[in-house]
Amino acid sequence: MALYDMSPEAIMKFLPLTEPVLLILLSLAGQPRHGYSILKDVEQMSDGRVMLSTGTLYGALRRLLDEDWIERVEEREASRGRQAYRLTASGRKNLQFEIGRMKQLTRLAGLRTAGKQA
Amino acid sequence: MIVLTFDFYRHLLDLYPANYRDEFGEEMTAVFRDMQAETAAKGTLARSAFYIRETAGAIVGALREHFRVPGREEAWLLFPPKFFRNRRLTMHTEFRFPKATAVLMAIILAGVMAAIKMGEGIVASVPHVSEPVGTIHPVHSVLLGGVVMMLAMFYAAGLIGWVILFAMRRSGVHRLETSGESK
Repeated sequence: MALYDMSPEAIMKFLPLTEPVLLILLSLAGQPRHGYSILKDVEQMSDGRVMLSTGTLYGALRRLLDEDWIERVEEREASRGRQAYRLTASGRKNLQFEIGRMKQLTRLAGLRTAGKQA
Repeated sequence: MIVLTFDFYRHLLDLYPANYRDEFGEEMTAVFRDMQAETAAKGTLARSAFYIRETAGAIVGALREHFRVPGREEAWLLFPPKFFRNRRLTMHTEFRFPKATAVLMAIILAGVMAAIKMGEGIVASVPHVSEPVGTIHPVHSVLLGGVVMMLAMFYAAGLIGWVILFAMRRSGVHRLETSGESK
């Protein structure tokens, strides 16, 4: 089911994202990447805390493809083993929505733990 | 060692549905090979962690793909109540019982049968007290009967629960609760 309905309510059905999915999307936010590059970037972004297996990575990529959050990059000389992926417009919008949600939570957490009312 | 584990990983990919393998199999083996080459230079612990992670990831991923409901990404697990509340358990048409599983089951069955045969041959005796007590009869028949009985009881309990829920739904009691909330 692709996210043709881009209302916040529709997006919220898929949130919060799991940490691996969030990191995969962040990895693709900057540039298109191949599977191996995504794995290494996720590991680097999380300081080695999140180390995805190949099965987990491709399970997540398959779901993100189905939901139209990412797409394959057509490369002339790419073999099937070196397929690159990038964010779609809807994937980028959903990622920004999730980041906004997390910012709001972080701000609230900062205020509450400091003893102030938000 | 490297060739052996790579072949093992390729066999693990056989657990995935055929359409998934066609789409991602080549990429997954290429990525696995890259990761494996990188891990080869690391210590035994890191290598072991890598192989365990990859094996577990492949098995869980394969299960996930077999029981995936298209359009319901949150419902891939077997047990969440939401899964049963929203729709019936649907199985992909391309689902096939993996050949490797059939072989594994045959090996396990052969092992169990061999163990039973070995058990039948054991003759116990208590030294200096009495004559040998004779052949010990394996309890597998009792155990099997118990397991079947237990399964039947669970099935009956589930059936009774379902009948009660079905009767309540037919009676419209759930609508009363909804209208009560709306007030």
